[in-house]
Amino acid sequence: MNDPIITLDNLAIGYDSQPVLSGISLAIARDSFTALLGANGTGKSTLLKTLLGLQPIVSGAIKFHSLAGTKPVFGYVPQAIQFDPLYPLTGFDVALMGTFGRVGPTNFSSRAERDFVHECLNATAADGFAKKKFSQLSGGQKQRVLIARALATKPDILVLDEPTSGVDVAATHSLLEFISQLHRERNLTVLLVTHDLPLVRKHAQQIIWLHHGAVLHGTVAELFTPERMAAIFEMEIG
Amino acid sequence: METLKEILSPDFLLRNSVYTSVLVGFACPLVGVFLVLRRLVFMGVALPQISSTGVALALSLPLWLGLKMDASREQTEHLLAFAGSSLFTLAAILILAFMERRGRGLPEGRLGAAYVVSAAASILLLSKNRFAEMGWLDLLKGEIITVSNFDLELTGGALAFVLLVLGWFNKELLFVSFDRAMAATLGKNVLFWDALLYLLIGFTVSIAVLSVGPLIAFGFLLVPALTAHIFARDMKWFVILASVLGGVAAFLGFWIAYAWDLPVGPTDVVLLGILYVLGFVVKKIASLFN
Repeated sequence: MNDPIITLDNLAIGYDSQPVLSGISLAIARDSFTALLGANGTGKSTLLKTLLGLQPIVSGAIKFHSLAGTKPVFGYVPQAIQFDPLYPLTGFDVALMGTFGRVGPTNFSSRAERDFVHECLNATAADGFAKKKFSQLSGGQKQRVLIARALATKPDILVLDEPTSGVDVAATHSLLEFISQLHRERNLTVLLVTHDLPLVRKHAQQIIWLHHGAVLHGTVAELFTPERMAAIFEMEIG
Repeated sequence: METLKEILSPDFLLRNSVYTSVLVGFACPLVGVFLVLRRLVFMGVALPQISSTGVALALSLPLWLGLKMDASREQTEHLLAFAGSSLFTLAAILILAFMERRGRGLPEGRLGAAYVVSAAASILLLSKNRFAEMGWLDLLKGEIITVSNFDLELTGGALAFVLLVLGWFNKELLFVSFDRAMAATLGKNVLFWDALLYLLIGFTVSIAVLSVGPLIAFGFLLVPALTAHIFARDMKWFVILASVLGGVAAFLGFWIAYAWDLPVGPTDVVLLGILYVLGFVVKKIASLFN
């Protein structure tokens, strides 16, 4: 396993200083493809928000180990359904937001940044949606634009929050194949939040499984054994 | 056409009123697009009314304190009104935004209550103020009759400032409005940009209310943005179209009102309403051919 890019040290997460999950100690390896699994209400979103810095830590620590010695850049891909369709933004407008972390206030995105965004859209096969209204794209098309936006941040870690939510089966497979390809070709660290076990089995290397207040961490081979699965689901092996 | 020539003449007696209406018409939709996009339409209704309560209260203060207004009464009165309007609007928008962020209670209920109470309070305050009653009650009803050079300069300067800040920080304001989480992830101070946007909205509303009254301010904040949204292909088109619609409607409204001896405010707002309905019809017809 590679060096860690993120280390969680006895971390407790929650809201208003009330822990939802505590005692989380694990490391996410650089260039790994990690899946964050768990049923609704197990704390997946809280953990994700805490990692992204959107939610304060209750106790413990998160350590980042980027190559530059600074906090790594997160290429965050939220669920496409959360965006308000009122915004008359094109696919390009949305993808361009990925560059805003580097472009200071009062400055406009340079020609080079705009060209880079076109490259990102091209890389995610979303260049055809650049001039179309984002709100009028299908679920899968929106996700491709959002992944292009995340790539435009020049991320150290690509974080995808249930990217297949609201996406049909065919588009789901194509999307995950594409994310796996990005992971391999660009040596990109990927953190995928999902509850889709078959997808995890096929694409992920590491798993963080939140279950009934416990946090299980291991490889797919370690956690997807019949015994561990049975223990996790609290059922007898047939 | 004679009326149009008269209005466009530099010697026209009410030229400052025309310029002020058009300025407000161009500027209000620029912040109005954010009210529409953030689904804060009710805030657009309540804020101008709260602002006018601030005006009414500020104008009542000298009377309550037994102060005598001297020869420069008009300018003092306008500065007081400006202070009252700005203070009330900014305080209200910050309180309402804070409560909105907490996500508790019923936001529509709060805004509705704020609207109706402030509307009644404005009328009550001014009805007991013998100095301010005439002109300011007219303003509350949407009558733009006399605008001094001082008022015009104040409005022009303030709206130019709003335009400048919106232009400079449009990228950040749009980003935190559209995707707060992503903006925060990329290191943007979401609270700061939210506060700046709310302050700009509050400042524009207070200036607009002071210049043209709450009715027209509300009309220009929302209806041009809603109309432009029907045709908006992208954000740039949306903002430009909303602003141009507001400016043109303000001028046409003044022309119609002057020609037919109608109150300017209600004429402007009804005209905006007609343009909104026409926009829908045109879009429907266009969709039949596409």
